[in-house]
Parts: sequence; C-alpha cells; structure tokens
Amino acid sequence: MQQQQSITKLVHDARAPLNQISMQAELIKMMVEQNAPLDKIQQTAAKIIQNCQKCSEELSKISEQARK
Amino acid sequence: MLKVLIVDDDSEFADISSQILEFIGHDTYIANSVADAKQWLSVETFDHIFLDFMLPDGSGLHVIEHANQLDKKPRITLITGHPLIKSIIADLSIPDIGYITKPVERADFEAVLSQNKSAKKTTVTKTKQQEFSQHFDCLIGESPAMQSLYKMIEQVAKTNANVMLMGESGVGKEVVAQAIHNASNLDKPLVATNCGALSKDLIGSELFGHEKGAFTGAVASKKGVFEQANDSTLFLDEVTEMPIDMQPNLLRVLENKTVVPLGSTKQVKVNCRVISATNRSIEDIASNNILREDIYFRLAVFPIEIPQLRQRKDDIPLLVNYFLMQMNQESQQNISINQQQLDKLQSYDWPGNVRELRHVIHRAFIMADTDSQEIVLPERLHSPFSTQKNTTLSHGLTAGQTIEDVEKELIKVTLEEVDGNKTLAAEMLGISTKTLYNRLNAYEN
Repeated sequence: MQQQQSITKLVHDARAPLNQISMQAELIKMMVEQNAPLDKIQQTAAKIIQNCQKCSEELSKISEQARK
Repeated sequence: MLKVLIVDDDSEFADISSQILEFIGHDTYIANSVADAKQWLSVETFDHIFLDFMLPDGSGLHVIEHANQLDKKPRITLITGHPLIKSIIADLSIPDIGYITKPVERADFEAVLSQNKSAKKTTVTKTKQQEFSQHFDCLIGESPAMQSLYKMIEQVAKTNANVMLMGESGVGKEVVAQAIHNASNLDKPLVATNCGALSKDLIGSELFGHEKGAFTGAVASKKGVFEQANDSTLFLDEVTEMPIDMQPNLLRVLENKTVVPLGSTKQVKVNCRVISATNRSIEDIASNNILREDIYFRLAVFPIEIPQLRQRKDDIPLLVNYFLMQMNQESQQNISINQQQLDKLQSYDWPGNVRELRHVIHRAFIMADTDSQEIVLPERLHSPFSTQKNTTLSHGLTAGQTIEDVEKELIKVTLEEVDGNKTLAAEMLGISTKTLYNRLNAYEN
C-alpha cells in the first residue's frame, strides 16, 4: 500500500515536467508561426531540455521504487 | 481580446500558459496564490479565470467564492494536473465552472475561450436584463420621484377608481397606464385608444360601438372600446383633445356605466376602470374650457402627475443602459456608453422626456464607433422644444415692451441658438431669409 502511494507520488512528480514539455513545444510552434525572435525560441527549447532531464530523473526514481 | 487571469502556484505552468494566451491574442495576468488572485480581482475586471484547485494559501474554491461576489462575474475554468482530480472536482458540481487537464494545449485554451465569447453575447445580456428591475413589469427607475409614483400605482391598483395621468409629452403615460393595469391583476388585456387621433365622426363609434347599418359604411356591427375593455382597463390617451360636444356622451358612460352603441336602442352594461391621460396642465384644462368640469371630476378621481425626466436625472444612466441592452439584443451587438457621455446626457434638460432620450440613444447607437464599440452622441444636444430657450425668452419679456423690441429679441436669441445661421434662423422663425435680412438691416439703421 505504502509502495503504491510512493509510486503514485513519483508519477505525479514526473507528470509535471512532462506537462511543461508539452506546453513549451506548443509555444515553440506558435513562436515559429508568428516569427518570434530566435533567442526566445532558443530559451523555450532550453527549458524543454531541462524538463526532459527532470522527467528522466523522476522516471529513475520510479524505477528504483519499483525495485524495492 | 479577453482579459484572462491565470491562478496557479506552478509559476512555470502559469508563465507558459500566459505566453500561449498572449500569442492567441488575449491579455493575461498571473496570480500564484489565493491572496494574489483576490488582489488582481480587486483592481481589474476579468473575462475568464484559469484556476488551479490547490493553492498554497487555500483552495480554488476561495477564489470562486470571491469572484462570484463581483459585479461582473468572470467565467472560470479549473485546471487540474490529473484526470482523476478532474472527475473529483466535477463531482462537486460547482455551477458554471469548466474543467481542463494539464498539459493544456493551444486548442484547449481556444476551445474554452471561444465558449466564453459566445456565452458572453447571451449570458451578459441575460445578466444585464436581470440587473434592470422593471417595476410592474414595465417601469424603469429608482429615483425618489419614481418611488412615490410606484407607491401611488400600488395604492390605486387596489381600487377601481378612475385615474387621470398628467405629464409632459414623452414621460411615458401609456407605460404608467399599463403599470396600473398590471398591478390590478386583471385577466384581460388593457384596451387603449387615442382620443386625439379620432375624427369627430368616428369618435362615437370608436368609444361606444355601432350596429350594422347605423351609418354609411357601417357594414357590420362593432364593439366600442368601453365594451372591449369590460372587466378590464380602458386607456383614453389625449382625452383633453376630445371635441367638447362629444363629452356629454362620455359623461353618461362614466356615470351610468352603460353604453348605447350607435344605431341601437339597447343599453350595454360596462364595467371597466378608465385611465385617461393628458399633457395639459390642470390650470390649462380649467381655464380654457378644454374638459367639462363634471367629466374632469369623473375621470380624475385619482390624478397622478408623472415626473419629468429632468426631475429624475439620476434615472438617466439606468434608462440609457436599458435602451442599449434592448438595442444590442435586437442587433446582436455590444455597444456601450462611457461616463463622459452619461454626464453629458445628465446635464441636458430633456424637454421631450424619456421619448426624446430614447430617440437620442437610438441615433447614437446607429452612429456607434465600431472600433471603440461606444455610442456616438451629437456634439450638442438640442431640441426645438428645449425649455432652456424658452426660459431665456420669457425672462427677457417685460410688460409694456414694444412688439418691435420683442421681435428684435426673438430674432437675436434665435440667431444665437443656431450660431448665426440666417437660413436656419429664418426657417425656425417661420419667415423668409429675405424678410430676416430686411429686419436685421432695419435694426442696424
């Protein structure tokens, strides 16, 4: 039971950066459509990379938890 | 463009949402807590709130509760991080609240806000309609003058006394008659006729009815308005314009409560309250033999003086917004008025009363600026019936003045009124331009 709760919490924590990635990708699409400045697009792409790393870390935690 | 508030403690989510919303053309603000949200709501008016349910200093419900107390309630969409939370919140059945789940895509925002736009057209007008309390289902106004009118209507509605409505042209005499009828809780509709619009030959037939063949053209029998209004209310507008020789017939009906249709010998019992109306003053009625004294006392058992619009200028914003709401509804538009324009309307004396106000608003609505979505008032409010002009003249008159002096003064005042335009002044004075020039030359000499 405790195991399941821990995993649920970890999944929730992994979902947050995943949500940001999705929305940031959406934002980049819109920026490109509207010829937004290149540096803004690059900043948003950098955030996607950060969130991918966060997400990866959270997935590793889930994996560790599942092994326990 | 909508004004949108995003309330979420996840500042990164709020920031991306804000950017997406700005890209699709909306004005966005961010709050990270209940306190922040309340602060924004106290200084700005929002069309929509995207709201996180769990906030560091309370729940999204606190924001909903606060927003529902505002004059202009924003539409609210709760944002949840998990589909399960969405269904739990949906089970709470909070009225008029939408739900979306993270991650929110551009299409999700657009779908929610387009609902908001289409709902805006209907719900705002509905809400606005609810804002106008119509007394007796037809009267608008909360000024002290109107409150005392409502009190009189309430009192007289309990009786079957005849009522005479007095007031300037355009004050809404027919609407007040309808209000009395509505307050009387009668099943049958009010029957109205305008005594001033009937020819001398037809007035008897209109009021009392006629039998078939009673006169040339009477191809069928017809019930008069008294008979039509049996067990209901009869509204006789412009009763003082009824020819004096027809008035004895009216007196007979009022006294005996029976009518004899033209060409008939049979008396028909009638039972109705008569509400009559005139724009003449009691002094005028009495001194100029306009209405027979006996008829006056029969009709004016309960006289009511309807206030002029200039006596209840506080009601002007309410009336203007009501007219605009009606016009917007009819033409599916969202035209409004600003405070400066309202001030201008309130500073005018409205000699034509509510009818003139409605006319001015209608014109301004047609002329409305499509960019600002606001009405466009004429630069100068003016009516040939304006009392301001009459006051100027009557103050200028003194007993013993020569006709020439009065005429000179009249021409001077008229020219001032039309900014020196001689053609217009001559037209207003009812003389030719040539005559006006001759007069002006004579004064110079």
